[in-house]
Amino acid sequence: MTGGRSGGVVARSLSKHYGEGNTYVQALSEAGFEIQPGEVVALLGPSGSGKSTLLTILGLINPPSSGWLSIGGQEVIRDGQIVGNANIIRRRELGFVFQRSNLIPFLTAAENVRLVLELDDVPGREARQRARDIMEALGVADRADHLPAQLSGGQQQRVAIARSLIHQPSLLLADEPTASLDKELGRQVMQLFRSAAKDRGAAVLVVTHDQRALDLVDRIFEIEDGVLTVGSEGVAAHSTPGGR
Amino acid sequence: MNLAIRDVRHDLSRFVLTAVGLGLLLTVVLAMTGIYNGIILDATALPDSFGADLWIVQRETRGPFAELSRIPAGLEERARSVPGVAEARTYVAHTIQRDLPDGSPVRFMAVGLSWPDDRGQALPIVAGRPIAQPHYEFLADRSLGLPLGARIPLGREVYVVVGITDGLLASGGEPAAFFTRSDAQKIQNETSNESLRLERAARSARIRESELGRDPELLRFSGAATSLIPAIGPAPVAAVMLNLAPGASEASVRATLEAWQDVSVYSQEEQRALILGGVVEKTRRQIGLFRGLLVVISAILMGLIIYTMTVDKIHSIALLKLLGARRTVILGMILQESLLLGGLAYGLAVVLGNVAFDLFPRRVVVGNEHRLALLLVVALISVMASIVGIKKALAADPNEVLAG
Repeated sequence: MTGGRSGGVVARSLSKHYGEGNTYVQALSEAGFEIQPGEVVALLGPSGSGKSTLLTILGLINPPSSGWLSIGGQEVIRDGQIVGNANIIRRRELGFVFQRSNLIPFLTAAENVRLVLELDDVPGREARQRARDIMEALGVADRADHLPAQLSGGQQQRVAIARSLIHQPSLLLADEPTASLDKELGRQVMQLFRSAAKDRGAAVLVVTHDQRALDLVDRIFEIEDGVLTVGSEGVAAHSTPGGR
Repeated sequence: MNLAIRDVRHDLSRFVLTAVGLGLLLTVVLAMTGIYNGIILDATALPDSFGADLWIVQRETRGPFAELSRIPAGLEERARSVPGVAEARTYVAHTIQRDLPDGSPVRFMAVGLSWPDDRGQALPIVAGRPIAQPHYEFLADRSLGLPLGARIPLGREVYVVVGITDGLLASGGEPAAFFTRSDAQKIQNETSNESLRLERAARSARIRESELGRDPELLRFSGAATSLIPAIGPAPVAAVMLNLAPGASEASVRATLEAWQDVSVYSQEEQRALILGGVVEKTRRQIGLFRGLLVVISAILMGLIIYTMTVDKIHSIALLKLLGARRTVILGMILQESLLLGGLAYGLAVVLGNVAFDLFPRRVVVGNEHRLALLLVVALISVMASIVGIKKALAADPNEVLAG
């Protein structure tokens, strides 16, 4: 069931280049794709292929050189320029999960989770309640008052996922979220992304090298030398030799 | 959720230790201010306590508080005869250092009062009474540490403390003690019997060898006590203080006195200005410079501390940016931490000052206006220090978080 916002992600001709003349580098070339709400997509590619470039463009950290992007039905990049306030868009439309949990060390788990809401001026009582609910759903409610250093790696990653989902973002960007976790924990994390996508209607883009994660994604995007290839088939088809 | 408080709480011991260090530095700044105020108060308290309208001093000198001044004691009577003068008193003072009966050294300024008119009744006596007899009694300032009734041998005599004054010190910081003029001069000039005998013998020898030695009467006097020789006047005094009669013109009295070729005349305000401009000025500049240096050092230290604190959490700042935190949230966190550090250090300095300044050997005078001024300075350097951290925070790149 899709209960969140509608719109997903639509990208058209996103390009990014650096330098000029001899130093000219085409980091991303005319990338275009759509990710539907509730869909989980894996982004594969070797180091230096342009994954991070695409991630920073989708995260509105670095604008592209050209192209168009909408997130959650809202135009956020037009002609290579960020439209509107990138901070507000990030606070409301984007969620981030990283290889390391990247929790703020001086905030408790609950404070880390509700941080995004408080940054967006959601009243404290509502923020606390929503933090309790999502931590309950992710099984870390009993660690709410602990600092990140007092949590295990798996707990830290669950708290980070709770933080990325609490504001019901239209797009969840996950950068190698299972790389530092064991097989079982990695699978649990990917299940969480699936649940988040289905239950909250978020479009999820997972950058990963972890083959174990691929059987839990709907589609796979591959990128090499800045050229993005959008997979339209299911994972089972991809895992079949010659299927892709 | 206040990020600054959360960050401080996370490493509270380091923050408190830093604040304590900074607080000690600010205590010294406050002490410097207090010592400067104390010096001014000490330097002017004594001349102010006499309540004189005019001071007559040795010609071309700046008065007894700035340099040596010697005028004939008879000037007191001359001045008293000037129309418009209601009262004339002599002023003598000299600093002495002796050992108390228990062996502890005591250093003070012995001031001579014009007995019997001036018994110290105008002085701020906080215990005991003014001097009631022409000899062997004195008033001691509280900072001298002598109790009422204490008997102190000075020279061949023993003097009793009959009154305690408060806050009367010499410009050098020595406590004042008030004797009758004759006692003060006796304490100053007292010499041993042997040196008296030698001086008288030398005097007789000089007379005998001169033409004057043919006069047997003169020869007889030459070996007597100095006070018995009519040609030798009483010991000089440092100054004569005048109080004007009600309605008398200060300018008129002053004009009369200034016509005398052997003295200079200063009003009370001029006397104060001479003390502050001469005796205190260098100290003021020195303390002011020292204080300024300490403030600069505090600002630099705070800047370094805030910079270090910012660097320590630069990854969290980059993450906050990535999560869409407004710039004001991040800058506010750094500014609040800086103000919190400054505020804590300031509070510590004030509390520590209240406790410690009474233990200082010199008077330390710190008023609310000085505390307020320091608070403003601390607020200013806190803001300036935060700018260093803010610049670093502004440079934090959200890409760092994505880069892992």
